[in-house]
Amino acid sequence: MRRSERPLTQVPRPILLGFAIGLFLQILNHQNLDNKSDFNFKPLAEPHRAKIYEGMSMGSYQLFSYLLTMRLQLHDNQVGRHIPYNKINYSVLVEWLEMLNALNADSEYPMMLASRVYSQTRDKEQLRILLTHIDRIFKSNPQIHWRRQAEATVIAKHQLGDKKLALHMATSLKELPGFIEMPHWARDMQFLLLADLNEYESAIAIIQALLQSGSISDPDELRFLQEKLLSFQQKLSKSQQIESQ
Amino acid sequence: MINVLNTHLYAQTITLFRYFMLGILNRRLFGLLSVLLVVAFLVSGFVYELAIINSREIAIALLADFLRYSMALLILLLITSNIAEDFENRQFGRLLTMPISRWQYVTAQVLVVSATSIILVLPAFLVSIYFVSVEIAIYWTVALWLELLLVGLIGFLAILSLEKVPLAVFLALAIYVLSKLSVLISQMLAESVRLSDGELANRFAASVFAGILHLLPGLESFAQNDVFFEKLELISVLGTQFQTVFIYAIFIIMACLVDFYRKEFNL
Repeated sequence: MRRSERPLTQVPRPILLGFAIGLFLQILNHQNLDNKSDFNFKPLAEPHRAKIYEGMSMGSYQLFSYLLTMRLQLHDNQVGRHIPYNKINYSVLVEWLEMLNALNADSEYPMMLASRVYSQTRDKEQLRILLTHIDRIFKSNPQIHWRRQAEATVIAKHQLGDKKLALHMATSLKELPGFIEMPHWARDMQFLLLADLNEYESAIAIIQALLQSGSISDPDELRFLQEKLLSFQQKLSKSQQIESQ
Repeated sequence: MINVLNTHLYAQTITLFRYFMLGILNRRLFGLLSVLLVVAFLVSGFVYELAIINSREIAIALLADFLRYSMALLILLLITSNIAEDFENRQFGRLLTMPISRWQYVTAQVLVVSATSIILVLPAFLVSIYFVSVEIAIYWTVALWLELLLVGLIGFLAILSLEKVPLAVFLALAIYVLSKLSVLISQMLAESVRLSDGELANRFAASVFAGILHLLPGLESFAQNDVFFEKLELISVLGTQFQTVFIYAIFIIMACLVDFYRKEFNL
């Protein structure tokens, strides 16, 4: 049997006032704690030199470098919360990534963190700092880091919207010597970007040079390049016709 | 006649070794080893989940290092507490009333350290052979055995000299950690000399530490964890470790003998 209730007006006013104050205090306290945990965000401290960490590793250099990298990977998770990337100082982050790369030059992990994790930032300035770092480290060891450079090229084009930077990065992939083992699509990124920039003549010249060099033996790759060559030639002649009219 | 005497001495030493081993081997040791293995698997499993790439290598290397440091601490505790009991129960005095030489006691204890190290590395071998190639598993087991032997001998010397378990464990751990961090400490001292523009006190500290380093085992005396990430010349690395451990073991055993022969025991 449901107990009948008296109307709210029957409750003494001091009790209602007490309830309102209690509710207000609870909301205020919650808000305060939220701000406090926001304030408690621990920024990245500047890293020491790689040699110091090497000494601290007690002989397990690579394991220690991976554990430090994972610590950096978890930096955006503090007190069980995900910290927005724009709160992270990307200049210090890049210093960490460079130190980790110096500590274990054969590891792909720090560059993977740069291209896959910390590139999720919406801040274009931070993204630019990160892409410049990827480009710099890629040049120090292209065989290990060509994948990250290719990813960074895509990020520069689509996320940052800087096609010139993307072209610069794609060109550095294209200009790698032949003994660097990487798939053709990574080298082909340059002419695809040139076509995007309406620089069909350069793209055509690159494809023709590639075809004439005889370095491509894969039939699928050859077909792809020939199709692209034809497509770019058609687009170029169309744009020339429009210009002449 | 000499042959008979030698055989008798050998038999006595082995009997002593067997007797000391009984003090080490007990159910608690195997229980502790099982707990350590479970914790090692949990920790490395956690890291395996966290890592985005190379997770397998990182987890195995962490598992190996976790077991390495746990076993090092365990062998120190086993050896020091076992010998400390001899001090407490006045066992030495009783032993020395028998026709047993002091060197036989030291030899038996060295055998105990070697055998205990073998028992401790067995789980590491079983774990590593499951996850890595046979060559790496064998390398890691032998290298870890050499490392534990070294740590055990340092613990033996420490307990013979200090006679108290906490002091001996602390000293042995200090030597172990100092050896492992020698590169870092040398760097820091060199940096302090540079920053102080070659101040005499800093240069003195750096040269004292450089002198101490000559009495500590170098990093090459320990198992190389990098084998889990890259291809190393295993035979060559192991050869270097064997050589350094062998020389250091002789040095420690001689120090033990000197210390033990100088001790006065009263019943």
